[in-house]
Formats: sequence, structure tokens, C-alpha cells
Amino acid sequence: MIWLLVAHFTAAALAPALVRKWGRQAFFALALVPASAAIWALPRAPGVIAGEPELFFLPWAPNYQLALAFRMDALSLVMLLLAAGIGALILLYCARYFSDDEPGLGRFAGVLTGFAGAMIGLVLANDLIQLYLYWELTTVFSYLLIGHYPERRDSRRAAAMAINVTTMGGLTMLVGLVILGESAGTYLISGILAEPPSGTAVTVALVLILVGALSKSAIFPFSLWLPAAMQAPTPVSAYLHAAAMVKAGVYLIARLTPAFGDIPAWQYTAVILGTATMIGSGWRALRQHDLKLLLAHGTVSQLGFLTAIFGIGTRDAALAGLAMLCAHALFKAPLFLVVGIIDHSTGTRDLRELSGLRKKMPVVFWTSVVALMSMAGLPPMAGFAAKEAAFGAFEHADTLLATLALAGVVVGTLFTVGYSLRFLWGAFFDKENTSPTPLLHPPGPLFVAPAIVLAALSLLGGFGASLADPVFASYADTVPGAGHDPAHLALWHGLSLPLLLTALCLAGGLLLFRWRVMVAWLGARFALPEAGNVYRRIVYYLSSFATQVTGLTQRGSLPLYLGTILVSLLVVSTAPIVWGRLWTLDVPPVRWIDTPPQLIPAAIIIIAALWTLIVRGRLFAVVLVGMTGYGTATLFALHGAPDLALTQFLVETVSLVVFVLVLRRLPPQFSTPVLRSRRLVNLAIGIGSGILVAVMAYLTLAGRQAESISEGFPAAAEEAGGSNIVSVLLVDVRSWDTMGEISVLAAVAAGVASLLFVRRRTRLPHTHIETGRIVARLPQPPSNGESEWSPLPLTYVGDIITPRVAHKPLWLPGVLTLAQERRSIIFEVVARLMFPVIILISVFLLLTGHSHVGGGFAGGIVAGLGLMVRYLAGGRHELYLSLRLPPGLLIGLGLSITTGTALAGAIFGTEIFAGGAFDLHLPFLEPIHLTSALAFDFGVYVLVIGLIQDILYSLGAGIDEQAEKDSRTGKAPEYESEEVTA
Amino acid sequence: MIPLSLSETTLPTVTTQAPDLDYWLLSPLLVVFAAGVIGVIVEAFVPAQRRYSIQTALAMVAVGVAFVLTLVQVGALPADSAGLTLAFATVVVDRPSLFFQGVILALALASLLLIAERRDGESAFTGQAAAVPGSEEERAHVLAGSQHTEVYPLVMFAVLGMQLFTAANDFLTMFIALEVMSLPLYLLCGLARRRRLFSQEAALKYFLLGAFSSAFFLFGIAMVYGYAGAVEFAAVRAAGSSGGLIDGGEPLLLIGIAMIGVGMLFKVGTVPFHNWKPDVYQGAPTPITALMASGTLVAAFGAMLRVFYVAFGTTVAQWRPMLWVVAILTMVVAAVIAVTQRDIKRLLAYSSVVHAGFILTAVVAANADGLTGAMFYLAAYGFTTVGAFAIVTLVRNPDNGAEAGDLTQWAGLGRTSPFLAASLGLFLLAFAGIPLTSGFIGKFAVFEAAVAAGATPLVVVGVLSSAVTAFFYVRIIVLMFFAEPAENAPRVLKPGILTGTTVGLGVAATLLLGILPGPVLEHVIPQPAAETSEAVAAEHTAADSLFAR
Repeated sequence: MIWLLVAHFTAAALAPALVRKWGRQAFFALALVPASAAIWALPRAPGVIAGEPELFFLPWAPNYQLALAFRMDALSLVMLLLAAGIGALILLYCARYFSDDEPGLGRFAGVLTGFAGAMIGLVLANDLIQLYLYWELTTVFSYLLIGHYPERRDSRRAAAMAINVTTMGGLTMLVGLVILGESAGTYLISGILAEPPSGTAVTVALVLILVGALSKSAIFPFSLWLPAAMQAPTPVSAYLHAAAMVKAGVYLIARLTPAFGDIPAWQYTAVILGTATMIGSGWRALRQHDLKLLLAHGTVSQLGFLTAIFGIGTRDAALAGLAMLCAHALFKAPLFLVVGIIDHSTGTRDLRELSGLRKKMPVVFWTSVVALMSMAGLPPMAGFAAKEAAFGAFEHADTLLATLALAGVVVGTLFTVGYSLRFLWGAFFDKENTSPTPLLHPPGPLFVAPAIVLAALSLLGGFGASLADPVFASYADTVPGAGHDPAHLALWHGLSLPLLLTALCLAGGLLLFRWRVMVAWLGARFALPEAGNVYRRIVYYLSSFATQVTGLTQRGSLPLYLGTILVSLLVVSTAPIVWGRLWTLDVPPVRWIDTPPQLIPAAIIIIAALWTLIVRGRLFAVVLVGMTGYGTATLFALHGAPDLALTQFLVETVSLVVFVLVLRRLPPQFSTPVLRSRRLVNLAIGIGSGILVAVMAYLTLAGRQAESISEGFPAAAEEAGGSNIVSVLLVDVRSWDTMGEISVLAAVAAGVASLLFVRRRTRLPHTHIETGRIVARLPQPPSNGESEWSPLPLTYVGDIITPRVAHKPLWLPGVLTLAQERRSIIFEVVARLMFPVIILISVFLLLTGHSHVGGGFAGGIVAGLGLMVRYLAGGRHELYLSLRLPPGLLIGLGLSITTGTALAGAIFGTEIFAGGAFDLHLPFLEPIHLTSALAFDFGVYVLVIGLIQDILYSLGAGIDEQAEKDSRTGKAPEYESEEVTA
Repeated sequence: MIPLSLSETTLPTVTTQAPDLDYWLLSPLLVVFAAGVIGVIVEAFVPAQRRYSIQTALAMVAVGVAFVLTLVQVGALPADSAGLTLAFATVVVDRPSLFFQGVILALALASLLLIAERRDGESAFTGQAAAVPGSEEERAHVLAGSQHTEVYPLVMFAVLGMQLFTAANDFLTMFIALEVMSLPLYLLCGLARRRRLFSQEAALKYFLLGAFSSAFFLFGIAMVYGYAGAVEFAAVRAAGSSGGLIDGGEPLLLIGIAMIGVGMLFKVGTVPFHNWKPDVYQGAPTPITALMASGTLVAAFGAMLRVFYVAFGTTVAQWRPMLWVVAILTMVVAAVIAVTQRDIKRLLAYSSVVHAGFILTAVVAANADGLTGAMFYLAAYGFTTVGAFAIVTLVRNPDNGAEAGDLTQWAGLGRTSPFLAASLGLFLLAFAGIPLTSGFIGKFAVFEAAVAAGATPLVVVGVLSSAVTAFFYVRIIVLMFFAEPAENAPRVLKPGILTGTTVGLGVAATLLLGILPGPVLEHVIPQPAAETSEAVAAEHTAADSLFAR
């Protein structure tokens, strides 16, 4: 069986080449492929009907129980013959329908052949996932076929609508299939049918599968796509939308009916929706002018009929359903083909323009009459036999549902008779006020032949109904509850209720035809909303909803993104706290306050933080943020942690200065004012997050099991020869950590500088004082052979300034380069006087760090602040002058000293970082307690100075220089970045 | 250090013995790490014009060697045990980790091909990241043909982080891996050659939000430590079944799970932590986007599976509701938003978000099928997405050579460049989960696992969301094949050998995994040794029997 599929898909792949070579005649060759499938099946039919299905099994993905499993039983056989037989005829028809120069014909031929293959696979598949696979393949192929005229907007739309509706249904069905397979423990359809699982999950699965089936078979509420799909070339309509693809849904229902036909949800859904579709679409068909649309609505109506029949779920219904399915394929396909012939020959298919074709195309006319009689359910056609059986099945089912459904399908059949007559009259008969339609070119024999064959089969089917009965019964008997009086297909059942109903339908149909104008008017007057419009509106609303959601959530605003994350975090973290009553845990008691003065910095912090949210100036905001830092430092101090406080103070100061240096180049105010409401929301989120983190930090204490490590710190500090625990921790107990941290600091310094100095920094800017003038000469960077450009910062040569008062000593020599209005004598004097003091303090902090407040880090920052003061007072050249060592050297030196100390411990002592201590006694001073840790701390000290110098060089002097250059070249300082504040 | 002779009770003993490392088992990590370090040294000492060839060769050889070593190790794993733990049980070598590492290395190699691609000496990266966008200086650099070959060592470090992320066996190692992975990526995101401000903004956003999520991750670790008294996965797992260290401490675990979850879900990019994804994917240089969309996603899910299956494997009931909500939100919101996208990279970003939601359904399943399903899905998605981004790099604006992101420009591409459009069409079909592509098997695998675990509603949502996403994938295919070529039709570059290989790899993987998934499922993806699906409990042990602890 796998070879059938391989043959089809190979033929599909070859089709474009064949069409290129032979033109439309290639369809003859392609028609052989489905024909051979039908021929393959015929000899196997007796065995299959006798109850010995053909099987094929090949594992595909055994881990997921996926397999290439095929099985041909009676139902599959019938479907295969329909799909392959009609497929072959349609391909023949194509050979005359198209012309050689039809654009995209090669692709069309390939896709159509491929579709036939997919359809054959679909009806043979014995694995749920295989079934789904072919199901989706038919969807995709049908999409390509409907969209055959890509240049037509309607064609594209119809194709998109069809694929959207059926894919959605298909995917829903996939869920159902997976649930079904999981509940049954196997994905083999035969296995599931043999031992049907049950339970709520299975019911859900069946409803989901039904959604897929109904969408494929265009049952209400999914009927909209089929009429729209009539944009496709007529052979496609005849094959996909009458004989094959739309039957897939009905096939699936038929396939599962033997196992699940008695489940109420399944029954009610199928019967009610099926009947409703039959009536609704039949009514719509009655007012169509386009013959093809008339047939399309008629097809939807008939599909509803089929669904309703199978939905009844009895053995007789299954028999009638399968018979009706065959009859429908045999009459609807030729009718579509006839429409194609008419369209082709006259150039129109609008029944208001057609007239008098009965005499001009007699063969076509009689073919249509036969097919229409079958459609209307008139004897002696196949349609009659099938419909009689169907009425009988409804009658015998003997439930309220079936009885109501019977009434419904009688109304539907009545409409069917009506629109059959409308078709016949509209296509062929003479009409008043309409001149006979001229034939552009009469249809050739080969063009008409497929329709004749199919119509003839409709006729034969009627007479041979009793011959076909065993085939259909072979399937129908698999439905349980046959009873002792199973129905049989026959042309003549005797005078019974079905026959009576047929007469009623005929009479009603004639009346409808008689009053066709009024019916059309009534239909149009009281039409339900056009399904297509509903679909378009849904799509429109979906996309506008999506746009709104996108606009709301995806506006590119960082605060908004962060807010979303924080809110989610608040929700997911608060829930367990509240739910688990975490506050009932055994946590240490809260100490709200130690001394009243703590309230002052606390209040300052809160006010400053809130104020920060309101201000518009950047600088002010930075100052306010700094105040929260100073407040925290004060709290540290009040809490008895002078080291922390000192470090915090110093760090705050440095950051404040750095901020100010950077803000010089930014607009003074935040660029966009923030909405008050947004600020309030942000405020709430901020407060919420803060409280959450605080609460969690506090509650975590409840989880403490081990003794705190800090219990041992005093002893450790003693051991290390110091009395300042913080300092000892930094430079001794955890010196490895400090090593890591200062390495990071060094890397950060390099990073900050490299952002401004694009090029590798070559040498220290060379500033020195010669007699009478300051020479500030910046070295030329090494010339780069590749480019001729000059990088901005460090190339400017010059700044040779002759001072006005050369012989007077200056407080700060660097100020000579400053403009007069920028100078401040007082500041210069203070800076000059303070500098040695500051350096002295820094050294003091460094030396005493081990036993008192201070340390290398704090000392380094203090020294850095000294540099900072000189820079602020004297400008960048003063900075260059005040410390002649380049920052890179200092940083490297600092790192070397610390590493050296560490290694020295290994060389002279016992291990890395091993150390010693001794007291140095100097005159006039307290004995200085020297330890090897001091050397380590000195490294930190040097490194921190280098870091601050680096920041000043880059963010201070570097930016100054750019600004100077800009002002020289007359360029106004431009703001390079816009801050996102919203 | 001055020896501390304190009593044992007050200070925990610090080991004095160096750990005994099995360098052979660590070799895939070490090779990539070494390549990164050597790359840095190359930057410092090799003349600029020779760096490109050395760096590309170094990076590709390293990734290739690491890949081979990973494969060899799979073969060398003892058949009867799940795997081994190394270096004080901080790193684990088991079948899932080796699988994820192998996939990551393969995807990294594919991305490296894109990264290394140069056209007329132009790579996807800016010549000089520090030059102000639009400045004279930038122009000078462009004219001089400057290039950042630092990209390669950065990528190596990122890949190292990804490898380690899937192999970490305790939360702290995992955190370090997270940072090693993320930091280079933050930087790489800001290096786009064109639309640089955009790229820098993306990098900044990614960095800030990523920093926050890392912080949450750390907070979560602290909470879990408070609950379990340990950060090792095995210990956390044991604590989960014994009820933790303290009475009533379960909320600590819950907060821990939530916060660790937030950290990981951010990396994975699920709603509501997805916001960064479209902006970053769009702004970053496309080869880096490809690396992030494939490698990072695989790594993040690899880690997530390990955390939730092993560490939190005994507390499934506690975290399942959260992941349910996140999965549903992700699949619905991202699918809805994706419909409106007009830019190919943003669309792929949202598609990545939706796919993350699909994979989450497998995590929620918490059974062996979920694990193998997620593995297959990740591998399939990774290759497809790398291929898709490779194609994005080829379609350029005619005037300035930037990538033509606007989808309207892609109209009619099927006529002008049929192979390219067909490849993208295939990738899109795979994203949509159409049968015979890898995407279908992947979706089937995760959905099947979720149904088996009783998460049917999740699967229903997932499938509906697939339908919505299929809508926009199909729309692009329609646009490419059925619409008239656009006025401002893009210039389609002829794929060079590097990009061509990546596209080819994507197509081959998508088709192979779609048509012949059997061999892959059987031989490549680790399977639990004995599937005992008798009881739910038994299933749980089967689920994590794959993981070494």
C-alpha cells in the first residue's frame, strides 16, 4: 500500500517536468496513477468485503508509537475507489479544461496528483497520527489549489480562509487524537475500534475530533470556507469540494462511528449541526445565481445530511450514510464538471445569462438531468436508493433526536429538489428576456466523457443498489446493535414512509421552483449574517486586539518591562508568604529602633527617595539619590559600624562626582515628562518590591540552622594581629575575595576608560612647566597604516599657553589653561592647601586600618578625592600635573603588590597569603603595627587611586577635551543620547 | 593567610585538599574555555589583519573538537548508571547534559558560521563599538575596515556558559554558568553594524533586565537554601521529600521555586518575562540573535529541566500550578501579539516565545516523555531557527545594505529567489508544526507527554495557539509565493559558503527530524532504561532516572 503513496508523490514531483514537456497532455499520464490505485484495489475487494482487511505496518518513530500503518477494510475500500477513481477522471478532464499556456499548470498538476495521494493515504491510514498527517497534507494541497490564481485577491483570500479554518479544525482534532490515543494506549485505529476506551477524557477527545471533522466537511459553523473556495478551478471544486477532501470529515465520523456512535455528545453534535447545515445551506442554494455557488451551497447542505446520518450511529444509518456518500460523489462531481464545461464553452456560469443550452449541448444536458435526478433523490438513481435508506434509518432509530432530524432532513431534501430544478432550469432552459447564449467553442468528447461516466454510474448505482449492498453492509455490520432486521439497500422498498416523504419532497421542491423568485427574495431578505463577513470580522478583531495588546505591553519602555517583571515577581512570591503564613515562623524578634537619632537619617532617606521621583532635573535627582546613600551611611555609623559608614560616605561622594561629570554632557532635565499616574504606579511597584525583599530577607533568618560564622570573627581578627574586624576580613581572612574584587575593579576601570578612549591609551599626557609657560603636549598616537583618520581625544597637539604672570608662583599651575571666568582663586587656594592634608589622611587611614577605622580601600578613595578636588579647581592639566603616574601604571602596580604579597606568603611562609606581623617603633609616634596584610592593603590603596584617576581622566578630562575641541570647531555640544524615562 | 586555629564548631572546615578533577570528563568545557582564553591573548598579541583568520579557525576548531569529545563521552558513559558527578559534585556528566551540550555545540558551530561570514570585508558587527554612532569617527573606522575580532572569544565564553548551564549540579554552579553565558551575550547584542543605537539600546535593556532576573535567581537560591540547607540538587531533592529543615518552611521553598523560576523563565523568555526578547532579537546582530535563539534557549531549557526534574522533582505539585499559568499566558499572549508583527526578526522573536510556551508544557508534564519530548523539540527548533535567522541575514535593503526586516518587502520573494524562499517556507512550516517537518514531531512529543501527565487543557491551549501562529507563518508563505514583488524589493545576497552551510544544515535537520525521526529518537536522545508506567510515582523515577545526581 505504501507504494500507492510513493507512486502518487513521485508522480506529483515529476508533474511539472511532464507538463513542461507535453503540455496539458501530461494529465493523461498522471491520470494513470490514481487509476492504477483503483485497479490495485479492485481484485482485493472480495477479500476485503469478506472481512479480511489488507494490512501494512512499518514503525516510524517507535518511541512515540508512531508508525506507518495502513489498513484497507470495506470503508477504506469504498473511499479509495471514490478518491482514486474520480481522481483519475478529474485528471482526464483537466487535460481538456486547461490550455497549454495556462500559467502555473505544472505546479497545479503536481499538487493535484499529490492531493490524490494524500487522500488515498488518508482513507487507508490505520494510525491516528498518520491520519492527521494526510489530513494536513490535504489541507495544504487544497490551499495551493484554491490559490491557483494568486493574482486574484479573492482567490488568495479564499485560500487563506480555507486553510485557516481547516487547520484550526485539524489542530483541534490533533488534540483529540492524542487524547484518544493516550486513553486507548495505542494509536492504531483498528486497535482503538477493537477496544474503545471510555471516560470523560474520551468524550472530550471525541468532541475535539468532531470539531476537526466538521471543519473539514464544512458543517455549520465552519461552512463558510467551502463556497469561498469556489475560486478554485472547476476540476478542483469537483474533486476536492465534492468528491474527496470534504468527505474526509464525514469519513472520519464514519470511521469512528462503530466504536463511539452511541456516545450522546458525539451523536447530538453531529446530528444537530448536520441537520442545521443541511437546511441552512439548502435554503441559501435556492437563491444563488452563480451555478458553481449554487452547487457549493448544495454540497454543504449534502455534507450536513451525511453528517446527520452517520451521527445517528445505528447500523442502518451507517449503511445509508455510506451509500449516500457514494451517491453524492457520483452526482456532485459530474455536476461540477458540467458547470466547468458550460463556463468553458460560454464564458459565463451566471444562470441569468444562460439560455437555450438544452438544444445546443444535448449530451451535457442529459448528463446533468441524470445527475440532478440522483441529487434530488428521484428513482431510479443511486441518490434515490441511498436517500430512501437514510429516511428509513432515521425512522427506525426511534429516538426523539432521530425523529426531529428526520423532519429536518425532509425539509433539507425538499430544498435539494428545489435547487436541483433551479440548476436545470438555470443552466439549460430558454428564458424570457434572455437571448440564447452563444457557444464560444463546443466541448470536445473527451471533455464531456468524465461527466458522462460519473452520471452513468449514478444511474447504474440505482439499479445496482442491491449489488452494492453487501459492500456497504460489510462496513455497516461493524456498528454494534444491528438487530435482527437489518436494512438493505434496494431501489424498491415497497410503499413505506420514506417513499411518502420522497413524494412530499418532490412536490415541495416543485412548489419552491414555481415560486423561485419569491423564495430568492425571502432568502435574501431574512438572510443570516454572511459567514464570510463574520469570519473577516473575527480576523479583524483578532488583529486589532493583537495590535492593542502589543501597543500596551510592547512599547519598548524599559521601566514598563521591568515593572511587568517586578509585578509578576511580587505576585508569585507574595502568594506563598501569605498562603504559608510565613510570619508564624520562628524568626528572631524585630528590633525597630535602637536610638531616637536613627529616625533623622531614616526620614531623610525616605524624603529624598520620594523626592527623586518628582524632580525633573537630572542633577538634582542624582543629588537626592546621593542623599539616600549618605543617610544609609549615617545609619551605619549610628549602628556602630564606622568602617561601613566611612566607606559608604566615600563611595557616595565618588559616585556623585562621577555622576556630575557625566551629566555635564546630558540635557539638564529628563527628556520626557512622566505622567503622574505612571509615577504613582511605579511608586507602588517600587514600594511593593522593596517591602517584599525586606520581608524575605527578614523571614530567611528563620531558616538559619548553623551558628553564624561571624561568631568567630573577633578571634580571627585577634589571630591576624588586628582589631578592626572589617579590615582584617578584607585583607586577611578573606583576602582571596578581595583579590578577586580588586581585579574586577581594575577591569571596570579599563572598561570605563576604553569607552571614551577608543584607541589604546599610549602614554600619560605630557604636561610640564617650562620657564614662563606650561607645555601640555599630548603625544601623537602611533600612526596607523590602514587609515588616515585621527581619533578624537588624544591627538590634539598644542595647548601651549603663555601665562600673563610668569614669575609669580601659582597655587595651581594647571589653571593657566582655564578660561578666566572659570577660575576661582579661593577654590584654588583651598584645593592646594588641602591636598597634602588629604593625602596625609589617606595614608593614615591606610596604616591604621588594621586596628582602627580605615583601610586601604578607604585611604585610596580619600587620596582619589584629593585628586578630584585638584581637578575640579584647576582643570584637566592640573590633574595631569598633580600625579605624574598614569592610571594604568597605578592599577597595574596595585595588582602586582597584592599578588606579590600573596605569593610572598607562599615563598617565605607556608602558603599563599601566609603572613607575619611586627611592630615598628618610630620616634614621636605610637608604635606602628605592621603586618604583611598592610602590604596587601597598600596594593589595594594604589589600585583605588589609579581607578579614581582613571575615572577622572576619562569622564573628566576626556570629556573636557572633547568639549574644548567641539567649541573650537564651532560645534555646539550635542546630546548624544536620549534617556528613556517613560 | 594567617592560619586560623579556631575550634571546628565555630568555623566550618575549609578544605585543604585541592579537588581531584577528572579532566577527561571536563574536556569539552575546557576546550571551549581554552579557546576563549587563547582568543583573548590573540587579541592582545596578534596583528589586527591576521586576527580574523586565527580567531575564526580557533573558535570553529574548538567547538568542533568539543563536539567530538562530547560524542566520545556519550559512548564512554557506563551503560548501567545515569552518569557521573565531578568536582565535588558541582558538575554532572550524564546523558541529558551531554545531549544538550552536543546540541548547543552544533548550534554554536552553525551560528559561528554566520558570525564569521563576511561580505566585501563586512561582517555583521560594528567596526568599532566605542565610536559614537553616526560620528565622523565611526565613518573613519568603517572606511578603514576596522573589525572586532573580540567577538570570537566572547562567543566562546558564552558557549562555555551554555554548556555548563546544562551540566551544573548545584544552584551556585548554575548561577555562575548563567552569568558566564549571559555577560558576553549582553555585550555581543550591542555590536550590530547597522542601526547601532538600536542595537545598543537592545544590549542595555537586555543587560538591565537580565541583571534583575539574575538577582531574583540568587534570591531564590537563598530561599531554597533556607529550606533545604543545601544548594546541591540532590540534597534539595531529598529535602523536598523529607519536608525541609524547619517546620512550616515550605513557603521558603515556594518562594525559592518562584524566584529561581523567574530567573530561568526570563532566560527562556516566557510571558510575562518575555518583553526583552523582541527588542533584543531585533536589535542584536543577526548571527548573535541566531545564537541566542538557538543555543541560549536550549541551554536555558536544559538547565530548567534539570532544576525542575531533579532538584524540585519531589515537589512537582508545588511548582506545577505556576508553570501552568506561565505556559498558558505564554502561548496565548505571544501568539496574539505575534499576529501583528511586521518585522521578520520580531516575528521570529515572538515565535520563539510561543515555542518556549510549548516546551514548557513538556516541563509541566514532569515525566520521562516530557523530558525526551523537550529534548527533541529543542534540538529540532534550534536547527530550524538558526536556519531561519541565516536567511534573514541574506535579505538586504537595496539602498543601504541593512537587513530588510520589514515583511512587506519580502513579498514575491518566492519568484525572485525560489530556493531561499522555499527554505524559509520550510522553516516556517516547521515552526507551525506541519507534519513531515521536525516541528510536528516535536509538538507531538511534548503534547503527548502533557496529555499523559493530565495537562490536557494546556495542550488544548497549545494547539489553539499553534493555530493562531500557523496563521501568521502561512501569511508569510503566501506573501512570498503568491504576492507580487514589492516596490522596494530587497536585494538578496547570494549565500556564501558559510551562510549556505548554515541554511543547508537547518533544512537538512528540519527535514530529517521530520521525516525520519525514528533513528534520532532511538539513538541520539537518551531514553529511560526501563519504562515502568505502573504508577505515577514510578513514572517520576523514570523521569529523572536519566539525570545523574
